[in-house]
Amino acid sequence: MARAGGITNAVNVGIAVQADWENREFISHISLNVRRLFDFLVQFEATTKSKLASLNEKLDLLEHRLELLEVQVGTASANPALFNT
Amino acid sequence: MAVPVEEAIAALSTFSLEDEQPEIQGPAIWVSAEPGATNSPIEYSDVSAYRLSLSEDTKALNQLNTLIQEGKEMGSVLYTYRSCVKALPQLPESMKHSQADLYMETYQVLDLEMSRLREIQRWQSSAASKLAADMQRFSRPERRINGPSITHLWSMLKLLDILVQLDHLKNAKASIPNDFSWYKRTFTQVSVQWQDVDTMREELDDLQIFLSTRWAILLNLHVEMFRVNNVEDILQVLIVFAVESLELDFALLFPERHILLRVLPVLVVLATSSEKDSESLYKRVKINRLINIFKNDPVIPAFPDLHLSPAAILKELSSYFQKFSSQTRLLTLPAPHELPLKEAQEYPATYQRQYLIVNHIGAIRAEHDDFSIRFASSVNQLLLLKSTESADAEWCKEVKGNVYDMVVEGFQLLSRWTARIWEQCAWKFSRPCKDAVSLEANEPLGSCSDYEKVVRYNYSAEERKALVELVSYIKSTAAMMQRCDTLVADALWETIHAEVQDFVQNTLAIMLRTTFRKKKDLSRILSDMRTLSADWMANTSKSEPELQSLQPGGEESKGNFFYPRPVAPTAAQVHCLQFLIYEVVSGGNLRKPGGLFGNSGSEIPVNDMKQLETFFYKLSFFLHMLDYTATLVTLSDLGFLWFREFYLESSRVIQFPIECSLPWMLVDHVLESHNAGLLERVLMPLDIYNDSAQQALVVLKQRFLYDEIEAEVDHCFDIFVSKLCESIFTYYKSWAASELLDPSFLFALDNGENFSIQPMRFTTLLKMTRVKLLGRTVDLRSLITERLNKVFRENLEFLFDRFESQDLCAIVELEKLLDVLKHAHELLSKDISIDSFDLMMNEMLENISLVSYSSRLASQIWSEMQNDFLPNFILCNTTQRFIRSSKVPSVSVQKPSVPYAKPNFYCGTQVRLNSAHQSFARLHSGFFGMPHMFSMVKLLGSRSLPWLIRALLDHISNKITTIEPMIMGLQEALPKSIGLLPFDGGVTGCMRLIKEQLNWGKKSELKAEVLRGIKEIGSTLYWIGLLDIALRELDTTHFMQTAPWLGMIPGADGQIMQAQDGGVSPIVNLFKSATAAIVSNPICASPMSFHTMAKQAEAADLLYKANINTGSILEYALAFTSAALDKYCSKWSATPKTGFIDITTSKDFYRIYSGLQIGYVEESVQMSSPSHEVLGDSVAWGGCTIMYLLGQQLHFELFDFSYQVLNVAEVEGVSHTHKNPPSLQGWEALLEALKKARRLNNHVFSMLKARCPLEDKTACAIKQSGAPLHRIKFENTVSAFETLPQKGA
Repeated sequence: MARAGGITNAVNVGIAVQADWENREFISHISLNVRRLFDFLVQFEATTKSKLASLNEKLDLLEHRLELLEVQVGTASANPALFNT
Repeated sequence: MAVPVEEAIAALSTFSLEDEQPEIQGPAIWVSAEPGATNSPIEYSDVSAYRLSLSEDTKALNQLNTLIQEGKEMGSVLYTYRSCVKALPQLPESMKHSQADLYMETYQVLDLEMSRLREIQRWQSSAASKLAADMQRFSRPERRINGPSITHLWSMLKLLDILVQLDHLKNAKASIPNDFSWYKRTFTQVSVQWQDVDTMREELDDLQIFLSTRWAILLNLHVEMFRVNNVEDILQVLIVFAVESLELDFALLFPERHILLRVLPVLVVLATSSEKDSESLYKRVKINRLINIFKNDPVIPAFPDLHLSPAAILKELSSYFQKFSSQTRLLTLPAPHELPLKEAQEYPATYQRQYLIVNHIGAIRAEHDDFSIRFASSVNQLLLLKSTESADAEWCKEVKGNVYDMVVEGFQLLSRWTARIWEQCAWKFSRPCKDAVSLEANEPLGSCSDYEKVVRYNYSAEERKALVELVSYIKSTAAMMQRCDTLVADALWETIHAEVQDFVQNTLAIMLRTTFRKKKDLSRILSDMRTLSADWMANTSKSEPELQSLQPGGEESKGNFFYPRPVAPTAAQVHCLQFLIYEVVSGGNLRKPGGLFGNSGSEIPVNDMKQLETFFYKLSFFLHMLDYTATLVTLSDLGFLWFREFYLESSRVIQFPIECSLPWMLVDHVLESHNAGLLERVLMPLDIYNDSAQQALVVLKQRFLYDEIEAEVDHCFDIFVSKLCESIFTYYKSWAASELLDPSFLFALDNGENFSIQPMRFTTLLKMTRVKLLGRTVDLRSLITERLNKVFRENLEFLFDRFESQDLCAIVELEKLLDVLKHAHELLSKDISIDSFDLMMNEMLENISLVSYSSRLASQIWSEMQNDFLPNFILCNTTQRFIRSSKVPSVSVQKPSVPYAKPNFYCGTQVRLNSAHQSFARLHSGFFGMPHMFSMVKLLGSRSLPWLIRALLDHISNKITTIEPMIMGLQEALPKSIGLLPFDGGVTGCMRLIKEQLNWGKKSELKAEVLRGIKEIGSTLYWIGLLDIALRELDTTHFMQTAPWLGMIPGADGQIMQAQDGGVSPIVNLFKSATAAIVSNPICASPMSFHTMAKQAEAADLLYKANINTGSILEYALAFTSAALDKYCSKWSATPKTGFIDITTSKDFYRIYSGLQIGYVEESVQMSSPSHEVLGDSVAWGGCTIMYLLGQQLHFELFDFSYQVLNVAEVEGVSHTHKNPPSLQGWEALLEALKKARRLNNHVFSMLKARCPLEDKTACAIKQSGAPLHRIKFENTVSAFETLPQKGA
């Protein structure tokens, strides 16, 4: 059974692997937190959008009411004679 | 490592991000969806660091991976290829001379397309040779290089799969050879002028052979592989690997499983087609195992609308591979389309049960519910853990391990579910429906395309429902898992880290000490595994004492202790570990008999083998876990449900209508089924479009597909919103209509529950402010609001149109329908903010102007009264109702026809509700009486009623003016003198005398006119009387409600008294003291507003007090009439010159009326009633009122002809003792009618006396001389009524 390879310099590799674990802990920590930041932003956008939507809804209602009032005032001021008595 | 980043991120969670939108859509925003573990982003360049001499293997692996990438792109080019021949223009006759130019242009266009095909041809040959070379290099028995690793094997399988798919696609696409033949024809035309076309022609021939040969790619691969005859070993390894993975079915997600299923038949064909005997294969893998796999999955999805069947492939390939054709056992497998023919009873039923989701949906539902609860609870545990300081390490490990298990389970569930949808699709595509008419009977079978047969008509309602359910389970589970991505990430890493470290530090240590102590080779591999992945120092970050407390037993007893680190192994580490495990179990020998782990003659004990196997498969699943989001994207991607490139080509159409589109079919099904349970999932099928758009752009990279999807989505969404709004509106209308039915009546009814409605929940849908659609955010709520606002207005418009097309009696129905609408509005307003009902009502009534008092309804009622009601309706005094006269009206009234509307403009869709309300309305459609008056008062309100009253009063005065000249005419026609009727002629004599005197001469035609005028005046007055009653009732109610607040108490004599409370009413008192109390409190922020409120209470007090003693409309109307009559007083009520009552020569109104009355009573008797039918009781009302107001009541009672006749008859009756005096014979009917008239007149007079007492004034107005003063000027004048709004305003 001929097998090529096998780790040639096991001790050095072991040390490097250990260092690698530690470096990667830092990397994954940072990257996870960056992702959390993104998550927050996404969520923030979503809630802001729904708040804006509800604001928009209220504005729409007000706009309709205002339109009505404008028309009413318009009809009244078109007949100034009514207010002279 | 104390990084302040963590604190900063944790601080973000203090923001309150409450969101009202329910989660009823799939996951949308993927922060990171690139696989980083399953595909090494750095191409395994870090593998060399582990010094395992794998550089050759890595190089080959990367080469294969590049080919796989390229191959996928080739596949999408081929799949999305659309024939361009159909688009080529034909040259008209007139331009035949430029035929050459056209050829040239056509050639250039086609050349572009063909160059792509040429590229595919070139690519496949290079890919085949590279794959073959790779296999040859790594399968030499005297191996000098390490490999192939497991990842490498996977890459081989994947590339093989790509090649098979390409081949399959090339066979299926008919348009490609078609386009090619055009291309070749144009080439021959064009190339005439060119020189040196031989190479091109050769190339062309090559391409033609490639395109027209079935399985050309596979044949080519076969040739390449067996150029040097030693690939059987690796083929066998691949087969063993595939079979074992499929049989174990643990670490496989559905895409991989499908790859293996697709590749396996081809591998078998290749492995058995060589020169060598195929027996060696069956020594390693029993043929029954293969047959079982092929039988279990007779249909395998390949492309969205293209499936593969192992049996069919085997059968077809047998004609190309001579050696294989002897494998009869494999060839007798039934292909899916042959199933019903051969084993009609047994197989289809089994497969049908297996493939159709309907048969599994119950189990899936249970799985989903169970999983969501457990997942949520494990995530909650994790949250709890994170918020706990200094948690116990054991608990910590347990919670995180639990989260890990839940994620594994979630992935497996998603994979199973999505695979079910893929497989059901493939199954449906393989079995088009036979009777397309079964669903929609009106459409003939011949007209439907193949695609309709496999999709549109191939899913029954139940199947659609199950599919919607499953889609929503997949999407909602994926959304749920995606939401906690960053939350669970470190827990997952920690658990994986712990697993790996536990294996390499503990399990391997034990193995090294025991079983492998003597085996140098194997123990070296095991220690290599420890070297390359062990994290010995993971416990150093913890402080010493804590460590010691955690580690009481010491190393020997408990094995190595390590503190889990939230870091996962890299792809390269997993790759190397898998490779080494494989090395251990296979001994580096490809020819090793038996399977991967299930070997017999190995030197490794069974127990260790088991541990190695488990860890080996766990490792491959770790990669999916690390690619958390990417895996979720893959597993929840349902975009394939939209694609139909293959069927588009075979049906020769540009695109199918949206009714054939599966996503829309599902949305439509939800809307049409009115299933309350499905309703909240209606947005889930729309997510399919999101997926398919993503696929079109990212995977298939075809802009036109995206455009088509976008167009379809735009269209679908519009229809969706309009259908949704309609069902919302209908539902709320039905709900309102059923609530407005009398509950006690319904309770008593046997079938009362028929009128109740199925409850539905639209609330969640109404909260959707952000629907995610193709990267856009749609505010569904505002769209619905907009549409509902419009629908309500349309409904109002319709109701008024409907009223305008009917007569006045329909007002009760109108009120009822408006009530239903208003109630629906009220119910709907709880969930969504639509315009206020009053606003819409005013808008539709054209009543917005501040200075206008009329409205659409008021003017309609007025014109209806003027044109139809007053002339054509007659009064019945006894029932207090007006009914339509049976006589054909002199003026026919033109009305628009009743407009048509959908049932939801009445009372919703339920037939029963509509008919219930209709039968109620029908009760009131034949007459006009008090109910109508109440409806009218309610609808017109205090704003338009005065306008209407004014119009009516004007009508009275106009009528008086109109009949005045006629009365004059009649006065002229009266004889000079009319004496009292003599008693000696008896009734007969009297009647003769009356006839002589009252023949009216030429003026007799005026008679009818005057009577009609008087009738209209009477009707109007009576109508106002009814109105008066209605208003009184309202006023009383109003008074009852306000009196306690205003401090009204009944006095001793029944009069209203103001309570003596310092002169301030309770309401003012209440608000004042409340304000004082609040303002005195120092916390009060805005005392001003409370002061304002107190002031407003005072204003309200004043306003309501002023309204308590409202006058009577009827009295007002009578006063008005009397004032209007004043003008004619001199003509109709002449003061006698003598100062005494004028008997014989008087031509006063009472005399005229008297004549008219006896005339029409007589007529009505003679003609047996028609005259009465024409005029009704209102003539008496009109005539008597005028006489009463003119002060002629007593004159009338004295001198009226009919009264005199009655007197005569009475005397006659008394003088004759027996019952029927002969002189009265023949007159009974007349006398009866006259008596009735007298009774009616008396009734009217007594009414008038009560409501408009004139007689006191008349009585005291007797001159000193004893002569009565005939008429006292009533103080009202017409000008006093000018305060009422003008009719024109």
